[in-house]
Amino acid sequence: MSTSAVSAKDAASKHGGAAHHGAHGHGHDVQGDEHEHWQPDAHYGTASLGKIGMWFFLCSDALSFGGLLLAYGILRGQSTKWINPGEPELGINFTAALTFLLICSSVTMVLAHAAAVENKRKEMLLFLGLTILGGALFLTGQYKEYFGLGGPGLIEEGLIFGHSAYASTFYLITSFHGCHVLTGVIYLTVIFIRALLGQFDGGKHNHIEIAGLFWHFVDLVWIIVFTFVYLVPNTPS
Amino acid sequence: MASHVNRKEYWTIFGVLFVLTILEVGVVYLGIAKTTLMIALTGLALVKAACVGLFFMHLKHETSILRRSVAIPMSIPAFYALILIAEGAWRRLPW
Repeated sequence: MSTSAVSAKDAASKHGGAAHHGAHGHGHDVQGDEHEHWQPDAHYGTASLGKIGMWFFLCSDALSFGGLLLAYGILRGQSTKWINPGEPELGINFTAALTFLLICSSVTMVLAHAAAVENKRKEMLLFLGLTILGGALFLTGQYKEYFGLGGPGLIEEGLIFGHSAYASTFYLITSFHGCHVLTGVIYLTVIFIRALLGQFDGGKHNHIEIAGLFWHFVDLVWIIVFTFVYLVPNTPS
Repeated sequence: MASHVNRKEYWTIFGVLFVLTILEVGVVYLGIAKTTLMIALTGLALVKAACVGLFFMHLKHETSILRRSVAIPMSIPAFYALILIAEGAWRRLPW
């Protein structure tokens, strides 16, 4: 792989011994960690244990979100009046922008993984950084939505947790998702630091792909939440 | 396979997700009948979720066993939702 050799040299000249070791010791290994060598499995192919583990977790997490969304659906489906007097409606346009932001950060995440596979260190760090920035901006947006930034937030406008099924399900679902974004930002920051230390040089992309799975899942869940919590209009059926 | 990189495909999916998000917000402002709207929104959301899962999460390139190990548990809440919707519709029939 000629591209790999060029960028490995680049990394080695910039980061000295550690990167040198990484690039030359494992430059030929693009399938993952040196700890994770085994014959391709008949059923799971070359998917690493870590990746299968993350998928297990994501399935259970999907059921958690499924439970919350189903409870919301049952409560809203049974109610004759969902939004009580004095409670604000949810802003669609601002949240659509947040949705777009998460989609963008998913793209930067796959590009970071692509750079890691191709052993492009600088590009990997850049796109990991942009992904973290996207997550942080999303959290800022959610803070603005709840508490207000340069204008009143939903709480000030009268959407109080515990005062109605509308308020409680809204805060429960969106804050549970927000916790996932926060977890993702912390997780990706750890991955970013490890990348900075040269642990993913030489095409060792496995951990970046696993972190990416978590991050894309957070994006995927938000697509569902945005559709069913924000976009369903408040008109009788 | 683990290391599938296709930047063109990633940007295509980004475009698809962008357009579908605009479409989703657009149909809400159209003011169509609620049942039609709900079917449209659900369809659009599922297509978007599938795009993320298949291409960004590389499920398209995993083995079919891994794909099914993920798809079956994740579709169970959706089946439960369908049962609840059917039950709700049944109760509202003018008996």
